[in-house]
Amino acid sequence: MGYRVGIDIGGTFTDFALLKGAQVILHKNLSTPQDRSLGVMHGLQKLAEKEGLGLGAFLKQCDAIVHGTTIADNTLIEMNGAVTGLITTEGFRDEVEYRRGYKESIWDVRLTPPKQIAPRRRRLTVPERILFDGSVHKPLDENAVREACRRLKKQNVESVAISLIFSFVNPAHEKRVAQIVAEEMPGVHLSLSHQVLPRSPEFDRSSTTVVNAYVGPRVTSYLENLVNRLKEAGYRNQLMVMQASGGVMTKEYIEGSPIRVLASGPAGGVIGSAHVGAAKGYPNLLCVDMGGTSYDMSMVIKGAAPAVAGWNIHHRNLVGVPMVQVETLGAGGGSICHVKNGELHVGPASAGSEPGPICYGRGGTQPTVTDALLMLGILSDEAEFAGGSFSLSRKGVVEAFAALGAQMGYGAEDAAFDCWRVVNANMIQAVRRTTAGKGVDSKDLVMLAYGGNGPAFAAVHADALGIGKVLVPKASPTFSALGTLVARPSIDEERSYICPVGNPDLNRLKALWQELDERATKYFAEAGFPREQVLAKYQVNMRYRGQNWALSFAMHTGKGVPDYGFVNAGLGDKALAAFNAKHMEEFGHVREGELPEIIGVRLASYVETPTPVVGAGFESARQTAQPSRQRRANLGEGYQSTKVYAGKDLKPGHQVPGPAIIEETFTTIVVYPGWNARVDDAGDYELSRA
Amino acid sequence: MSYELNRKLAAKRDPLSTPAPIDPVTASIIRGALETICFEAASHLGRSASSPIINQSNERNAAIIDAHGRLAVGSIGTPHLTFVTQLTVRYGLMFTQDYDWGPGDVFLGNDPDHGGGHLPDYNVYAPVYDDKGELVLVQALQAHQGDTGGKDPGGFTLEATDIFTEGLAIPCLKLVHRGEKRRDVIKLVERNNRFATFAGDLAAMIGGVQHSVRLMQELIRKYGTDLVKAAINHTIDQSEKQFREEVSRWPDGNYEADVFIDHDTLGTKDIKVHVACRVAGDQLTVDLTGTDDRQDLVGVWNTFGNSRGYVMTQLVAMIDPDIAKNEGLFNAVDIIIPEGCIAHPPPNKPAALGSFHPACEITEAVCVALSNVVPERAQPQVYKIGMPNAVIGFDENGMMWMDQGVDARSMDSSAVKGIDGWGSCPSSLGNLLLSEAEDAESRYPIINISREMSLDGGGAGQWRGMPGSLNVKQVLVPTFAMAWMVSARHPMRGMCGGDDASPYSNHFEVGTPNEYKIDLAVKAQLPAKAVIAYQHGGGAGFGPAYLRDPEAVKEDVLDEYVSLQAAREKYGVVLTGSLQDYDLKVDLAATEKLRAQMKAARSA
Repeated sequence: MGYRVGIDIGGTFTDFALLKGAQVILHKNLSTPQDRSLGVMHGLQKLAEKEGLGLGAFLKQCDAIVHGTTIADNTLIEMNGAVTGLITTEGFRDEVEYRRGYKESIWDVRLTPPKQIAPRRRRLTVPERILFDGSVHKPLDENAVREACRRLKKQNVESVAISLIFSFVNPAHEKRVAQIVAEEMPGVHLSLSHQVLPRSPEFDRSSTTVVNAYVGPRVTSYLENLVNRLKEAGYRNQLMVMQASGGVMTKEYIEGSPIRVLASGPAGGVIGSAHVGAAKGYPNLLCVDMGGTSYDMSMVIKGAAPAVAGWNIHHRNLVGVPMVQVETLGAGGGSICHVKNGELHVGPASAGSEPGPICYGRGGTQPTVTDALLMLGILSDEAEFAGGSFSLSRKGVVEAFAALGAQMGYGAEDAAFDCWRVVNANMIQAVRRTTAGKGVDSKDLVMLAYGGNGPAFAAVHADALGIGKVLVPKASPTFSALGTLVARPSIDEERSYICPVGNPDLNRLKALWQELDERATKYFAEAGFPREQVLAKYQVNMRYRGQNWALSFAMHTGKGVPDYGFVNAGLGDKALAAFNAKHMEEFGHVREGELPEIIGVRLASYVETPTPVVGAGFESARQTAQPSRQRRANLGEGYQSTKVYAGKDLKPGHQVPGPAIIEETFTTIVVYPGWNARVDDAGDYELSRA
Repeated sequence: MSYELNRKLAAKRDPLSTPAPIDPVTASIIRGALETICFEAASHLGRSASSPIINQSNERNAAIIDAHGRLAVGSIGTPHLTFVTQLTVRYGLMFTQDYDWGPGDVFLGNDPDHGGGHLPDYNVYAPVYDDKGELVLVQALQAHQGDTGGKDPGGFTLEATDIFTEGLAIPCLKLVHRGEKRRDVIKLVERNNRFATFAGDLAAMIGGVQHSVRLMQELIRKYGTDLVKAAINHTIDQSEKQFREEVSRWPDGNYEADVFIDHDTLGTKDIKVHVACRVAGDQLTVDLTGTDDRQDLVGVWNTFGNSRGYVMTQLVAMIDPDIAKNEGLFNAVDIIIPEGCIAHPPPNKPAALGSFHPACEITEAVCVALSNVVPERAQPQVYKIGMPNAVIGFDENGMMWMDQGVDARSMDSSAVKGIDGWGSCPSSLGNLLLSEAEDAESRYPIINISREMSLDGGGAGQWRGMPGSLNVKQVLVPTFAMAWMVSARHPMRGMCGGDDASPYSNHFEVGTPNEYKIDLAVKAQLPAKAVIAYQHGGGAGFGPAYLRDPEAVKEDVLDEYVSLQAAREKYGVVLTGSLQDYDLKVDLAATEKLRAQMKAARSA
């Protein structure tokens, strides 16, 4: 029996989850920013040692290594991607600069513009025009393309995005431009909009294609480097890479559309949450992940975290590919507490991990959320912190809060407590905004908390949102790595075809699904999955005329060799009925006397792979846990002597009545007054309102 | 319906009566919760509305008004709507007895003469009562509707001389009584609109405020009525205090500005907006005395509520963006708008076009007046567009279509001290998403030929305005089109020595022997294949252009925002090398010499 390894590279730590039969082994080591593959190899070495094997022997027994990477995100944060050019239709040079008029703050005239990936001098246009029905209105001027190449070459462009109007309906011009660029600029990286995001409108598609061009070369070379290292060390199978859609796929597939790995890290956590929630009987989850700099929120509904394509702004760029929806608030352990205009604020500025909070003792001087937790007694300077990496220190912390309190007219402890109140309020409002407009009542959800700081706050937020249960999995600190093991190898692609739902060209629809099927079959085969294992969901995208984005729903689901019997005369009626049902569910109405249109087909195909078995239930004998000590702490109701439990002492069946603090290796769980915690048969925590 | 009513509506309101003390953190937590409820109301509307202008372009606004008619929370949408919303509600609040207000009620108002802006801005609002039956708050949702049932589709009639030409004016109308929809009333409102999607939008607005009312009732139960009232009092006081603190840092003085509109819709020239901003200690007074009051002007009447709101829209752009947006801002400023002038019209004047001009000239004048006081935030929150070319036709079923607003692209994004103009619009419009060619062309028989920025467009300056775009569009079938052009003779003003933006211009039937320029206004039948071309003026510059960093000018030339000729003539920057080869270099000596000449000529 082989191993499966999930790896997630974060800013500070690289997390590992090793799946061995039904057993999961966790490991964490520091990331290596200069060459992140080094940290990966180091951790694999450690896992091999845990298994009593040499690295080579261990890797030979690995059926799969699944990897979540922040390489694309880092490229956009650091703005150090490829020198990128854009070739687009004459008349449309500036759409990516206009951003459809969008600005991140409507009140701040001093907001500065985002740095442009393709500044105007590298955005060149060519005479050509395709119309909405795919007809050629103006032929492509090939000489203009060659002239554009000359200008881009002069500017040392390494990566070219090609995005022409209505290319997703008729890609002929875009393909021809690509041929010419390949001739004129050999070795240049190419991104074609009809492949990266085959849908309207032009800004969304062009922006996504430009970002793809920008991050592409770095993602590709990073993955190649890692694959080579793994190969040299003895790994014989495909490296699978996490995508923002929540599925994984091979390096070869990712190379065709590297933008798909953007924002994939948080997606892993959400997919892991869905898996754990399902196993424990909670299909509807509100997932909160609080680390050092951010508070990430997402929802799992009916056991799934659907990837949504739309207005996804990432690092100030619009990225239109389907992504698991994760909302982020700049609130984490490192968020800085400060007074402005007589009001107390927490974040969004963060002390990060360097220098970090004052209590890290690494030179931080500004009070942070972690420092406030130390003041409140939720964290302690007696215990080890972050798995024993170091201890916290009170030096300078009291003074910093005293200074803060002086501005507000009270003492240090009150200031720390108010910081805790403010950051809680910020997070609660952010969660409400995450669920807003989605037709979900937060009271119907179970909260799943992870990340280093999530479990210290979760029950307060649950209370405010009317949520009665909070899950804290033991594996929560390495949840994203675990998530990569849960994620299924998947390919989710679409093709555009606009037609009235009443009269679709069935042959055209069938041909498009066939094309997508053939692509999926090829890539799955290369990944070692024969067609018999592939499940395929044949979807249509539909909308009313005038709507900017579409609803997707399945017309047919099948396994193995494709059967297109469902593409028959009844398809239009079936699609209309499904659209009406979905539109009613999503938006609460259907338009009377108006028919929607089909705008494209979508094929979501995937294979099932072994996933960690998550235990559940409360069969173990109930017993009351014994605290390891007591300390003075304020859990919202003033300073009191509070019981502190060591996570390693808590076994299935143990109960911990609040108020109490549970210290786990990489996190601290707070059982607030009015709440109880118990350990389920799998060793995970479930907090409930008493 | 009188000046007296407007005086009553604008009068300063007392704080809510409450015995509860409150600490600042609890107050800000309650304020945050109310802001989130506004967000939820707007999201609910966005999710269920059927018109793209609401569910995709985000032209909607949510605000919470307190029982005294004060703006308690303005959270979502565009500032231009946020700061007018409370007057419509105040009008309704005058009739809580007469109109039998109670829990579960929902009202509608859009009347320009009863606190409103122009007719298309429908304001749907619902009172929130606590469990003892005390009226505590009102949730308001506004959205711009595509039509108002008047003479011309879209609600804009160039020659209108009264409001009745423009459509149905609603002072305060109950749509829902104690939770039951008044179907006859709603049908009447729906009937007075040309677009089928309006019914869905109205239903979505009602659903949005009802959703919000439930959330606010929960909040009131959780904290208690007294504490919620105390939180609102505190947050309004805080905003006033913070605004006054900013003003107290401004030098005392009288700062004045004149801004002109080219003409009204009938051609009367040079319509003046005059603003005097007086700073005395922490007291700011904005006085529009001296603004044009010729009673025979047509199309350039901005309602009193709108004028007040647009003044505030500019003022909040010029203060710390973190100050909460509520009644405290109005409490901190005296706004004087003489009765009878174009910013405070007599009853029954048309209102549709006034929301463009003079509304934006009021905003611009406040900005110009304060530009030397707050240069780092002196960006006019305007749209100098006249009106967007409205292109209207009928489909094969005889249904009307309108490709309205698609012509908006890069417009009016001015520089401030230290930052070039960027994006398509000033900050306050950054929530609105411009529609795109591929979507428009899939719906309507048109082709968008070009929408790029113009070389040397916008105003030069030490910091440069964003160039305006030239929008060229072809109609494929015979089409009706309507336009009103301004900002050609009086383009947007440069700040602190920066150049004005470029003039706007508009041509119909381009490239044919029938080509003509629209200097004033037109209602035209365009033949099939006709091309129209709309040049936006772009943003204005900040500071003298000859002070711009020569390297930045070189970069602008490489990016083709600025020509080699303009680099030399406007910026005094001499470049060597070739643009074609991307090897431009600044000739420092020649640049210094040229700039010295320019400076001398300027001071002479």
